[in-house]
Amino acid sequence: MESKVLKPVLAVYVAAFILFLYGPFFVLAILSFQQGPEGGPQFPIIEWSTYWYRHLFGFTPPSRIAPLPVGEALVRSLTLAFMTMVTATVLGVMAAQAFRRRFKGKGLVFYLIVLGMMVPGVLTGLGTSLLANNVIGIERHWWSTAFVAHVVYTFPFAFLVMLAILNRFDNSVEEASWALGVSPVRTFRKVTFPLIFPGVLSAMLFAFTLSFDEFPRTLFASGRDQTLPLAIYGTFSVEIHPNIFAFGVMTTLFSFALLSVYGILMALSVRRAKKTAMQEDIV
Amino acid sequence: MVYDLQLKNVGKVYDNGTPAVIDFNLDVEKGEFIAFLGPSGCGKSTTLRMISGFETVTSGDLLIRGKRVNDQLPEKRPTSMIFQNYALFPHMNVRQNVRFGLEVKGMSKPEADKKVDGILDKLGLLDISEMPTSRLSGGQRQRIALARSLVVEPDILLLDEPLGALDANLRKSIQNELKLLQRDLGITFVFVTHAQSEALALSDRIIVMNAGRVEQISPPRELYTRPKSEFVARFIGSNTLIPGTVLKSDAETITLDTAFGAISGTNRINLTEAKGQNMSIVLPAEAVELVPGDTKEGELRKTFGNNVIPCRIDRLQVVGHIMQMLVSLENGDTIHIEGHVDKYRNRLKVGTSAYVGWQSSGASVIGQ
Repeated sequence: MESKVLKPVLAVYVAAFILFLYGPFFVLAILSFQQGPEGGPQFPIIEWSTYWYRHLFGFTPPSRIAPLPVGEALVRSLTLAFMTMVTATVLGVMAAQAFRRRFKGKGLVFYLIVLGMMVPGVLTGLGTSLLANNVIGIERHWWSTAFVAHVVYTFPFAFLVMLAILNRFDNSVEEASWALGVSPVRTFRKVTFPLIFPGVLSAMLFAFTLSFDEFPRTLFASGRDQTLPLAIYGTFSVEIHPNIFAFGVMTTLFSFALLSVYGILMALSVRRAKKTAMQEDIV
Repeated sequence: MVYDLQLKNVGKVYDNGTPAVIDFNLDVEKGEFIAFLGPSGCGKSTTLRMISGFETVTSGDLLIRGKRVNDQLPEKRPTSMIFQNYALFPHMNVRQNVRFGLEVKGMSKPEADKKVDGILDKLGLLDISEMPTSRLSGGQRQRIALARSLVVEPDILLLDEPLGALDANLRKSIQNELKLLQRDLGITFVFVTHAQSEALALSDRIIVMNAGRVEQISPPRELYTRPKSEFVARFIGSNTLIPGTVLKSDAETITLDTAFGAISGTNRINLTEAKGQNMSIVLPAEAVELVPGDTKEGELRKTFGNNVIPCRIDRLQVVGHIMQMLVSLENGDTIHIEGHVDKYRNRLKVGTSAYVGWQSSGASVIGQ
């Protein structure tokens, strides 16, 4: 009786969920195959073509529509995301390690760290830029002020991921290593790190993707040279052409590739872990 | 004489002010098998972790082979530790686990290989040396942990409830192996357990702990026959304590005046001139006999002297060849008695009155 009502309701819910999750992307993907250069960013499709993809890479004859100014911005964003990923993950692992021990003001420090992801991005961005310009007196750049803003934003995520991983970590494994006469540094390298590596991968993925499409903080903090999300937003203010959609499809494919790499690394790590399954399962 | 391990007034107070270990004194000779025995939270594991260096000593001195190690880091101490959950490195196979401790010692590869092979062979692990540890049984894992700790040749091996995670049969066989191994290697073992059977079977000396304090340090047999405090008498074996005041004492026996009249136990504490002192008779379950209520008084006196107390039979249960009996005394105390089935069968009935009796030599006397 119950399932007769519940099942359809859940089915509708799941359908709506999937529609809103993938719907926008499919609409954009379809429109990216609009005819060019006359076709606009709306239905109906006049004629299917790959014109906008060729336009993106500069393979089309010159027209009134300027090529998307994303080349340098893309390189900048990738570099920034990479720098942020490495820094935030290292800090996240170190902070989470510190939180395994008791220390004065632990609770306060925890909330201070997590605050980084709670404070509205626009405020952080504006604050960072004011701090740099008016207080410290340095110029804003994507690799300096924006980088700091990105690390402040992504570090809590990396920290929380590592905290969850280290929470389940069996301390006696480290103690066993110390008791064998192995120094804490070497123990971390040879025992702790290999065991928390899946978590480190997740923290890296979080930090990279969050930084890669960060908008509000970067808007104020990045200075003259724009990152990719800013560059794309900049083109909206003029006129929207389906080349944006083509670019969106390309970046999505890139993200999928990134996820696949993560998935493969994770699967390898999990398979090895399964082979040598965590000891507490048996105990 | 240099002891392998010495604790001099060692104490531990946690940061929040809770005392965990109070004034612990102990001298351990090389090759001794020492057990810390006590209920959970008594401070036995904390003491072991102080010896290993995982916990700081807050007062007193800790000496290993005559050298004060209070401030020495765990990796610098000549101790190694076995954990209840084995604490094997899950990302390494058996051989890599055992080899791990040797890699930092700057030992040449062939020499290290030889040592690893030697210890793997000794513990019967050579056949599985290339296997990942997850596929192995609890007993095998604990042996790997042993091999890993022993290959670095510690002066003292610390074992924290090492058999706690194993099932009863396996525990017995590993117990024997452990004892033989210890005898064979001549290394000092310090073993923490809450299971008295383990402590009694394995150790040369047992340290009974309660609420952070050492209650008694004795060889197993003595702990059993000569408990020094009420806690030990209640914790070890299954004893019944009957309080009273001293009526008289001589070289062999002490007689107390109790709620059940004058009853006696052996004088193992050289008690003299103690008339009127409050003490308790300790009755080990093995020393007590149950006789039917219709037994003639003369016969009772002949067998047990004055050591007879009336009781009621609450429960009788046959387990294999053992008869388990539960009786209650007039004051409400209950006593568990065990005996051979042949001796008791068909003589007793639940709900009837009976007598418990014992020989003075089977009971001891402790201060209250």
